[in-house]
Amino acid sequence: MEKDFAQLNYYEMLDIKPNATALEIRAAYNAALQMYQPDSLVSYSFFSQKERKEILARLEKAYSTLINEKEREIYNNELIKEGVLDPAETGPAVKRPVSIFEFNRQKDTSSMPKVRSSDLKAKISQNQRISEIISRQEIKGADLKEIRNELGVAIETIHQQTKIRLDYLHWIEDDKIEKLPAPVFLKGFIKAYLKCLCVEPANEISTRYINSLEHKN
Amino acid sequence: MAHIWPIGGGKGGSGKSFLASSLGRLLAKAGKKTLLIDLDLGAANLHTMVDVPYPEKCFSDFVSKKIPDMEDTVLPTPFPNLFLISGAHDSLDIANLPYEKKIKTLKSIAKLQYEYIIIDLGAGTAFNTLDFFLASRNGIFITTPEPTSIENVYRLMRAIYLRRIRHYFSAIEFKTLEKKVKEHLGDDSFNKPENIVSVVRKEFPEKFTLIKKDFNSFHFKLILNQLRKQDNVEMGPQICKIIKKHLGLNVDFVGNIAYDEHVHDAICQRVSFLDRYPHTRAANDLRELNRKMSNSPGEQLLLNYL
Repeated sequence: MEKDFAQLNYYEMLDIKPNATALEIRAAYNAALQMYQPDSLVSYSFFSQKERKEILARLEKAYSTLINEKEREIYNNELIKEGVLDPAETGPAVKRPVSIFEFNRQKDTSSMPKVRSSDLKAKISQNQRISEIISRQEIKGADLKEIRNELGVAIETIHQQTKIRLDYLHWIEDDKIEKLPAPVFLKGFIKAYLKCLCVEPANEISTRYINSLEHKN
Repeated sequence: MAHIWPIGGGKGGSGKSFLASSLGRLLAKAGKKTLLIDLDLGAANLHTMVDVPYPEKCFSDFVSKKIPDMEDTVLPTPFPNLFLISGAHDSLDIANLPYEKKIKTLKSIAKLQYEYIIIDLGAGTAFNTLDFFLASRNGIFITTPEPTSIENVYRLMRAIYLRRIRHYFSAIEFKTLEKKVKEHLGDDSFNKPENIVSVVRKEFPEKFTLIKKDFNSFHFKLILNQLRKQDNVEMGPQICKIIKKHLGLNVDFVGNIAYDEHVHDAICQRVSFLDRYPHTRAANDLRELNRKMSNSPGEQLLLNYL
C-alpha cells in the first residue's frame, strides 16, 4: 500500500538490509523465487501471468545488480543521490573471521592470576633453591611441585595453559607412578609443564625426569 | 467489550467450523465465557460440532422478530461456559439477509455480554460475509495448503479489502473512482483493489491517508490448516509477506495445524476432538494457537461505518 512493488528499491524488493552480504542476497533471492515462481503454491492465483512475469524480471534484475560488486556500487550511488540510502549503511558490513579454535573455549577466568614469563624468569634466576633442583641428576614429581610452589603458580593455571588434565598433573606431582601415562606422553607433559613455568632447559630436564623414573622401575 | 473473532476462509473443508468449535472449547475450558455464533447463513452446521443436535431456537428467530432480543436466542451447550447461537433451522432464504437486518445483527452482537465471541462465517465473498468479517479488526483467515483453498482465501482478502475501501466513498464518488481506475489502468484492473488504492492515492489524497491509517489498525490473522508432513512449513509466513507487500494488509501468521485423520473420526462420532484425542499433534497445535491468540486480543468492534 505504501508503494507499488515496481517502486521498491532492490533492497526492499528482496527484503534485505543495504549492508547485506553476498550470501544474504543469494538467500533472499532464493526465498523470493520460492514465493513468486509460477509453480509456487504461496502466490497461486494472486498474480496474473503478466504480473508474475514482471515481478520475476524485476527480482532477477535486482539480484544480478546486487550480487555484482561493481554494479551494486553504481546502484548504491544512485540511491544515495536520490536520498533514499544513507551512505553509512551501504556496503557489506566488514565481518571479522570467526576464530574456529577459540569460540567454544572457556575464557580464562579472571580469578586466575596471569603468569608473566618475564616475572617468572627473573624469579628463577634469583631463587637458589630452584637452580639447585634443576642441577640435580634425578628429578621427581615432588621436585617439580617444589619449583612450582617456589614460583607461586597455581596448579590450575598450569592446567589451563597446558590443557593437561588436572588429575594427571596431581599424579605427576605426587609421583603416583602406577597412574602415569606412557613415557612418550609423559615426557611431553613434563616439557609443557616446565615451559609453562619458564624453567629452562625444559627438554633436558624432562629427559632427566624420564630417566630417573625408568631407573626406579 | 467482548473480543470478537470472525473466522473466514474458502469453500467446505478448510476448517472454519472446526476451528471455531475448537477455539470455543479451549476458551470455555480456560474459564472464559464464550459465545459461538453460526453466521454461515444458509449452510449452518456449527451446532453439530458442539453437540447440540436439536437446537430449539436459532438466528432466524431473531431475524424474523419471533425473538426480539438476540440474547434470548443463545443456547447453552453441554460444555460449561460455552454458548451457541445456532443457525440450524434458519429459514431457507436466510442467505439473502437484507441490509437493515444485517446492521441490526451487528449492533446486537456488539451488545452481547461475553468475554469472547467467535463468529463462524460461510465461504464465498457475499457482502454479508464480508461485513460480518469486518465486525472486528482481528478476523481470522483459515486455509489449507492447496491451490483451491489458497485461491479462495486470496479472493476473500481482496474482497474484504475492497469492501473496506468502499466504506470511505459514497455511491456517486465510488462510481467516479471506478471510472478513473479504468482510465488509468485499463478495463479489467478494477478487480485488483491494490490498483484502486494507487488511484485513490493520486486522486483523493486525503481519503488515502484515512484509508491507510485504517488499514494499519487491522491485525488479521492467518492459520494454515491440515498441514501434512511433506508440506512447506514456511508457507504461512510467505503468504503474509506477499499480502503485506502487495496489498499492504497486516496479516499475522498464527500457526499451522497438523493434518490428522482423527479429526474426521471425532466429527463423525460427534465428540470433541480435543477431548477424544488430546495428545495428537493437531490438538497440540490448536492449544498453541489459542494460547498465542489469547495473548494478543487486539482492538475491537467497528461500528463506525454503520
